Amino acid sequence: MKLGFLSIDLGTILFTLANTLILFLGLRHFLFKPVNQILEKRQAAVDQSLLDAEEARSRAESAEAEYKQKLDQAKEESAEMMRDASRKAQKRSDEIIAQAKAEAAGIMQQNAEELEREKRRAEHELRGEVSGLAVMVAEKVVGREINPEDHARLIDEFIDSVGDAE
Amino acid sequence: MALPKVLRGPEELSVDGPKVIRSFDVFGVKINFTETIVLEWFVIGIILLVVFILTRNMKVRGTSKRQAIAEMAVEVITNLVRDTMGKRWLWFTPYIATVFCFSIFGSLISLLGVRAVTSDFSVLLSWAAVTFLLITATKIRYGGVRGYLKGFVDPIPVMLPINILSEVSTPAAMALRHFGNIAGGSIIMGLIYYGLANLSHMIHLQVPVLMVGIPAILSLYFDLFSDFMQAFIFIMLTMVFISNAGPAEGET
Repeated sequence: MKLGFLSIDLGTILFTLANTLILFLGLRHFLFKPVNQILEKRQAAVDQSLLDAEEARSRAESAEAEYKQKLDQAKEESAEMMRDASRKAQKRSDEIIAQAKAEAAGIMQQNAEELEREKRRAEHELRGEVSGLAVMVAEKVVGREINPEDHARLIDEFIDSVGDAE
Repeated sequence: MALPKVLRGPEELSVDGPKVIRSFDVFGVKINFTETIVLEWFVIGIILLVVFILTRNMKVRGTSKRQAIAEMAVEVITNLVRDTMGKRWLWFTPYIATVFCFSIFGSLISLLGVRAVTSDFSVLLSWAAVTFLLITATKIRYGGVRGYLKGFVDPIPVMLPINILSEVSTPAAMALRHFGNIAGGSIIMGLIYYGLANLSHMIHLQVPVLMVGIPAILSLYFDLFSDFMQAFIFIMLTMVFISNAGPAEGET
């Protein structure tokens, strides 16, 4: 038995509605739900990685700033050290120079003292010789022995007076 | 030498409705179980099988081609619904997909030599009825029962019959358009096959050679193009009518 070509059949309508509902539920459950889940997960993953990238960038920026600061600090420190070192070197050289000057002065003084001493010694020797000579001369002139000690005293006095007169 | 019947081509052209496989009597109402329902099951089976194959083993990363197709299908239909109906109707997407797939596959099985599901008027009437119910429900939801009933006597009470007619004609036109195109196409194709078979016999060809090739070109239109067009038109009209029944998005 066949229905008419343009028949409206209640049974077909009811079954079709039921079938449509079945297919609707089937597509919703087996196609749309899993695919949308996957799409959402992917969207979430993309958002997450964008967030991560943003975070990494800000971290890198802060690290760069930190390094820059540290570098500046290091430069500052090295400059400070240089200044310090040159100051120390200056001080040291000043010290050395001062020491050298002092040494030189010491040496000069020593020399002067030495000279003085030499002078005195020479003077002393000269005085001895002169007094000997004077005694000899006096013996020759006087013809007798003169107590050298007495004469020495006398000559000393004489020389002193001569020296004073000079 | 008598050729086998299969090779002789159609000997008569019959324009019939679907075969009734069984009839039930439920509380005095006769319920027919027809050929169409079996074919619907077949179509549902094919669609769900395709869906199962496409959505098997889906991953967030490193998607297969199958998954890409499934994702694209879902995105295309979702965007279509969002663009035509607005965001608040997104839950409705699977129904649109259902009718679209059902209609296309239901029409295309005629290529397998069986009756197209969509050449049964009752099927289209069912879908149109769903659209009609949703239109009415949307109108009542946004305008209230009073607003809905008032719409029938708008702008003047004399318009009542015309308004009722216009309300009913919406689903009726949708159903008839789809049915007419698919059923008409199948009749035309039947006529062509029948005519070509007869023509072959007239020029004393035992085997109806003329049936080979010539109908294929027409079949491209009447079977493929028309099937896609009608499915698309049906879902577009469903979406437009339902979303027009409510206020435009942003006004609520």
